[in-house]
Amino acid sequence: MLMWLKILSDVLIACGAFFALVGVIGILRMPDAFCRMQASTCVATLGVIGVALGGLIHAIFVMGSASAAVKIAVICLLILVTNPVGSHAIAKGAYKAGIRPETPMETDDLGRDSE
Amino acid sequence: MRKTNALAVIATFVVCFAFWLLLTWSVSVQELIAGAVVSLAAALFSARFFIHEKAFWFANPAKLFTGLFYWVFVFPGELIKANLHMAKLVLGGCKNLKPGIVKIPSKLQSDYGRAALANSITLTPGTITMEITEEEGQPWYYVHWIEAESDGEEAGEAIKGKMETWIRRFWEK
Repeated sequence: MLMWLKILSDVLIACGAFFALVGVIGILRMPDAFCRMQASTCVATLGVIGVALGGLIHAIFVMGSASAAVKIAVICLLILVTNPVGSHAIAKGAYKAGIRPETPMETDDLGRDSE
Repeated sequence: MRKTNALAVIATFVVCFAFWLLLTWSVSVQELIAGAVVSLAAALFSARFFIHEKAFWFANPAKLFTGLFYWVFVFPGELIKANLHMAKLVLGGCKNLKPGIVKIPSKLQSDYGRAALANSITLTPGTITMEITEEEGQPWYYVHWIEAESDGEEAGEAIKGKMETWIRRFWEK
């Protein structure tokens, strides 16, 4: 039983690492600032959730430490609550500072309405 | 500036103290007293920014259960779908992207509900909320979408998915 839980926690951590990798590749490959931010959301969502869930299972069943488990849960929760605020602020700030993609966006309702 | 009212302070205090208990994970008297003092100070200063509407809306088991169901099952489902889609896009070489900013309508009335929907949209890979405006009592979201295939209502359905109905059930009647 314990071995299966260890395997499960490793698989979850591997999934988290995979999505973090996808996010980083996305940041490097995407064409403009806004699309890069979209890819980076992968790191902060399933990347963090996967690693945190794996760590949670490890903390509860392998280490047997409730306080470590609670701390991991709180860290995951705080990242998930604060990340969208930051992404929103950076995206809006970039747009207001006049950053635009090289090939113009096909639909730009914000630009249309703020003229 | 908004006045601080007692119920809002108590609600903020409860949340702060719960966080303190989780982080310290001990029940020694010293820790509890220190936590109570710090949470009360934090609550006094921040309650008027933190609580805008009814202070104890969360003290309703049915609502709490709905919220829990949303954050534990519905939202992660949407998240996994969007993440897999993003992984496919990125590993496929970022071709056929149609980035654009679309304006989508919503029916949410409360501040909490609007903030929750904006955050849910931003947390989903592929969409970022850029701005909210209000026209005729109805909020409109400007969303940067990596595959802007449609506009207006249709785009709203594609972006919000099941999220808006669940948020309405939790934050509004």
